Amino acid sequence: MSSLTLERLVKRYGSTEVVKGINLHIEEGELIVFLGPSGCGKTTTLRMIAGFIEPTSGAIRIGGEPVDHKPPRARNLGMVFQDYALFPNMTVADNVGFGLVERGKPQEVVRKRVEEMLRLIHMEHLGDRYPIELSGGQQQRVALARALAYEPRVLLMDEPLGALDQKLREEMQREFARIQREVGITTIFVTHDQQEAMALADRIIVMNAGVIEQAGRPEELYDEPATLFIADFIGRSNILPGRVEQREKELVKVRLPGGEIITGRCRSELTVGDTAVCVVRPEALKVGTPRPEGNNAISAKVLRRSFLGSGIDFILQYGDNQEVILQTSKDMELGIREGETVSVLFRPEDTFCFSDPKAGQ
Amino acid sequence: MMRVRRAYDGALALALAVSVLLFIVPQFFFVRQSFFESLGMGMMGDELTLANYRTILTDSFYIAVFLRTIAISAVAALVALIIAYPTAYWLSRMNSPALRWLIILLLVSSFVSIVVKVLGLTMLLGSQGPFVAFLQFVTFGLWNGSLLHNELAVAIGLVQYSLPLLIMLLFGVVQTIPKSLEEAASVHGASDWRLVRRILLPLSLNGIVTAGLIAFNMNMGAFTSAVLLGGGNVLTVPVVIQQKIILEVDYPVASALSVLLTVAVMAINLVVVAVRRGGFAGARQRRKIA
Repeated sequence: MSSLTLERLVKRYGSTEVVKGINLHIEEGELIVFLGPSGCGKTTTLRMIAGFIEPTSGAIRIGGEPVDHKPPRARNLGMVFQDYALFPNMTVADNVGFGLVERGKPQEVVRKRVEEMLRLIHMEHLGDRYPIELSGGQQQRVALARALAYEPRVLLMDEPLGALDQKLREEMQREFARIQREVGITTIFVTHDQQEAMALADRIIVMNAGVIEQAGRPEELYDEPATLFIADFIGRSNILPGRVEQREKELVKVRLPGGEIITGRCRSELTVGDTAVCVVRPEALKVGTPRPEGNNAISAKVLRRSFLGSGIDFILQYGDNQEVILQTSKDMELGIREGETVSVLFRPEDTFCFSDPKAGQ
Repeated sequence: MMRVRRAYDGALALALAVSVLLFIVPQFFFVRQSFFESLGMGMMGDELTLANYRTILTDSFYIAVFLRTIAISAVAALVALIIAYPTAYWLSRMNSPALRWLIILLLVSSFVSIVVKVLGLTMLLGSQGPFVAFLQFVTFGLWNGSLLHNELAVAIGLVQYSLPLLIMLLFGVVQTIPKSLEEAASVHGASDWRLVRRILLPLSLNGIVTAGLIAFNMNMGAFTSAVLLGGGNVLTVPVVIQQKIILEVDYPVASALSVLLTVAVMAINLVVVAVRRGGFAGARQRRKIA
């Protein structure tokens, strides 16, 4: 178990920069999730840490020790692959014991440790099965046990749950979180699924186009998105375009196409006259009168009510054919009907304004 | 509808009949021929006899011919495997558009007539060729032998002939082994050699055995390489069969030799497959049944 540091890590293929100078420090025992759309550089970064790809420049340190020029086998890492990569010619027990045997551990030590690992993943009775005889979830657990058996310094997981169906995926997330806590190993988990990232991570590193967009606890990313990309990528968002009317430190007033002026928070460059987009979470929208002091209000028509099981979505239309989604919990009766016109309210602290990425184009 | 179906089935049946005629009938005649006594000049006796087989199996000359053929074939197949596997591995792991061209090159090279290939080798290995010159140079002229017209030359010819096919067969085998297995092995601590021994070879073993048997079988029946590169000095079973037919006009003994060659090849294949079954795959299958 060790800390892990990336320093100005760069990977270039020809003239294409896939990873553009990443700096990151991961504490001992931390569970980090690299999150981002495909092609954002998260898997490339993981594979550089593993030693499969050589960085163009920059440094990787594990527990303070530089590992850049070491082959994968000398880095003492554990890794779980997207396709599990279990050795089909070996039994479950031999797969789990692989790393120990390769480290020259005596047979008795290997046997004991394999038993221990199989108990950890609740598969003690399946040691002499072959991988092909296991279900997807079981193969996943064996891959995890194999990666942990020799007590590596860091555990790397490359979209390990991608091949599983939703239900099993959530079950495996819980199972994995339990094992990670139990073992306490420093872990980097790569995924493009933001729900999975939120469910697992101590800290999420959101990557986009080769750089870290934002790093933080799941709550921070959700409640305080630093960029429009984060606001849009993490969770569901309503995006309201407009023009900046006034700015006072972190507070901006934005005029929407329909004429309403809303107030929101802004940490980026936005000056009066700029086109801006304001982001509000669906659950931050309310309806009704009276209007609490300082709240934003827009008038909108109820287009559709859609039942989601855990809650209800109302699709609302405001201004010039713009739509927003309002989410309520099931037991909260709003008393609004399709076709009705309502006043939609939301607080300035739940409204985040960014410069419009399309404005420059 | 029914009518169309019948015509279709009829066409299929006709194709089958032609195949049987072309393949099985001649075999039947030469097998039958092997059970008659030769009276010389292509004449045959009219009594069924095992005399030809007795002659071959008790004559040390024929036994030596068989053993020589098996030894050359096996060594050539083994050498071809040793060259083909790393090549196939390298091809299947290369991530480049050049791969397509290399595969096409491989295919084209396997269409070149064996006679042309052997002629090329004759020039390379001949007394005017670079290899003889090289060997004479490094031995300060002490080495004065020939690289042609011996077992080595025949084996080299067989390796050259079977190589493209083996590379293509093994290319397919290695391609079925995901690269992630290699990555998993190395990240979990295996060195490159250990990775080959514990992952690549076990997972390719079925393919390697199959490819090796195919090369061996081709080698056992190879005539052109044996006759042209052996220059009459290397008597393998196909060479002796040809001599029996053309020079001695002894059809029954030639037929008996052919039958024995076929039986020997089949027996060796069966033994190899049986041994293989007894190994890891067999143990696994047995366990699954239980």
